[in-house]
Amino acid sequence: MILRPIKKFSATFKTCKAMVFLLFKESVRFAWQALVGNKLRSFLSLLGITIGIFAIILVFTIVDSLESNIRSSIQSLGNNVIYVQKWPWSFGENYPWWKYMNRPLPQYEELEDLIKRSKTTEALAYRMGVRKVVKFQSNSIENCVIGGISHEFFKIKNFEISDGRYFTLSEAEGGYQVALIGDKIKEGLFPNTDPLGKQIKISGFKATVIGVIKKEGESMLGGSMDNQVLIPFNFGRKFMDTRSENSDPIIFAKAKPNITNVEMADELTGLLRSVRRLKPAAEDNFALNETSLLSKGFDMLFDIIGKAGWIIGGFSILVGGFGIANIMFVSVRERTNIIGIQKSLGAKNHFILIQFLTESILLSLFGGIIGLLLIYLLTFGASGAIDMEITLTATNIFLGLTVSVLIGVISGFVPAYGASQLDPVEAIRTT
Amino acid sequence: MKRPKIISVLCIIGFIMVVFAFVNVFSPDIKKIGMAVPALYGAIIAMQFISLVGVWYFKQWGTTAYLIAFFSKLIFHMLINDTGIGFYVFVLVSIISAVYFLRYFTKMNPNF
Repeated sequence: MILRPIKKFSATFKTCKAMVFLLFKESVRFAWQALVGNKLRSFLSLLGITIGIFAIILVFTIVDSLESNIRSSIQSLGNNVIYVQKWPWSFGENYPWWKYMNRPLPQYEELEDLIKRSKTTEALAYRMGVRKVVKFQSNSIENCVIGGISHEFFKIKNFEISDGRYFTLSEAEGGYQVALIGDKIKEGLFPNTDPLGKQIKISGFKATVIGVIKKEGESMLGGSMDNQVLIPFNFGRKFMDTRSENSDPIIFAKAKPNITNVEMADELTGLLRSVRRLKPAAEDNFALNETSLLSKGFDMLFDIIGKAGWIIGGFSILVGGFGIANIMFVSVRERTNIIGIQKSLGAKNHFILIQFLTESILLSLFGGIIGLLLIYLLTFGASGAIDMEITLTATNIFLGLTVSVLIGVISGFVPAYGASQLDPVEAIRTT
Repeated sequence: MKRPKIISVLCIIGFIMVVFAFVNVFSPDIKKIGMAVPALYGAIIAMQFISLVGVWYFKQWGTTAYLIAFFSKLIFHMLINDTGIGFYVFVLVSIISAVYFLRYFTKMNPNF
C-alpha cells in the first residue's frame, strides 16, 4: 500500500526517461541526415568554429606549455637561493639603470668574508662564466660556457655526475687544472672515447677531465649544464677577469633549513654593507635577486599573452557562431514545409526546437573537435621539431568542447525557436 | 500584444552585453579558477541569451529565465570576487531590464 506511489513514480520516471532518450535519438538522427545531406555547406559552416577553437586553444596550449617549462626551469634554480649580483632582476618601466651601472661586481674575497660571518646560510658559492672555444685534439666546440666555480657550488645548483667525480676541496682551492664537462661537450669532443683523464684545452690552458655532468636537456631560461665546462675558480681566474662585466660574477647563498629568504636577505644585506664599508645613509650597491622575482615577471608576461589570445580567439569564435546561426536560418527556411508536416502529424514545439538545436550543436561540436585535432597534430609535430614539450592539456580540451557546445546552443537557438513557433498550416504551404 | 519599444531596446542592449560577456568565457582570470568554471560561466551566458530570446518573443518564460540567469551571474561574480566597473554596469542594466520585463509580465504570452 505504502509502496504503491513510489512504484507509480518509478514507472512514470522510467517512461519519461525513455521518451527523452527517444526524442534525443530522433533529433540526432534528423540532425545527422541534415548535415550529411549538405556536406559542403556543413563543412564551410563548421570551418568558422574550427578556426576559432583552433586559434584560442592553440594560444592557451602554447602559453600553458611555455609557462610550465619556465616554471620548472625556475624551480631548478632553487627557491631558497639568493643571488648577489650587480644588476637587480626586475621588470617594468622604473628601472634606474644609471644607478646600477656604477655598482661594483661581486668579488671572490667578499665571498670569503661572507662564509666567515654568515649564520643563516647553509652554503655560499661563487661563480663566473665566459664563453670560449674548448678543444680536444682535432675536435673543438665554440661558444662553450666555462664556469669558474668555488667548491660549494654543488650544494647550490642541483646537478648529477654521470661519470667520474666532483672537485675535491684542495683541487678547488689550489686552482688545479681539472674540469667537469656537460653532456653536449662530451658528445662533441669525445664522440667514441671515454673523456675521463683526457686533457682538453681552454683558452690555451690544459685541463684534465675528471667528471661528466648528467644530461639535463634544454632549459627555457638558458643555463643548462649540458653545454658547460666547470673548472675551479682559482684556475679560471688565470684567463677570466673578475672585474669584467662579461664574466658575470655571482655570489650564491642558500638558506639553512627553517631560515626564510627574508631572514637570509636581511643578514646578507648587513654583511655586504659592512664588507663594502657603506655609510649608514648610503644606498645598497648590490642586488639580492631571488627566483620569486623571475616568477612575478613571467606572471605579468603570461598574463598579457593570455589576454591577447583570449580577445583574438574569443572574437574569432563569435564570428564562427554567426556562421552557424546563418546556416541554421537557411536550414530552417529550406525545411519549413517539413516542419509543417511534422507539426501537423503531432510533433510538439519542443521537439522541433530540440531537433534544430541538436543540429546546430553537432555542427559546432564537429568544428571544435576538428580544431582540437589540428592542435593535437600540431603539438605532436612541434614537440619533435623543437626541444620543448608542448602539451594539449585536458583542461584545454574540455574548454574547447564546452565552448563549441555553448556556441552551438547560442547560435542555433534563435532559428530553432523560430522554427518551433511556426504555424503548421502556413509552414506546409511554404514552397 | 505587440512587443513594446522599451522591451526591444533593452533586449538589444542585453544581446550586445551577452556577446561581450561570452568572450569572457576564455578570460585567463576565469580559466585559472578551475577546469569547469569557464563551462559554468558559459552556461550562464547561454541561459541569459536564451532568456532574452524569450523576452524578444514576448514570452513569460523569457522573464523567468532572465531573472534566474541574472541571479546566477550575480552569485558567480561575487563568488569569484569580480566586482569591477563592468560588474556594476551589468547589475544596473540588468535591474532596469528586470523591472521593465516584470512590468509587462502579465501581458506576455504564458505558453512556450
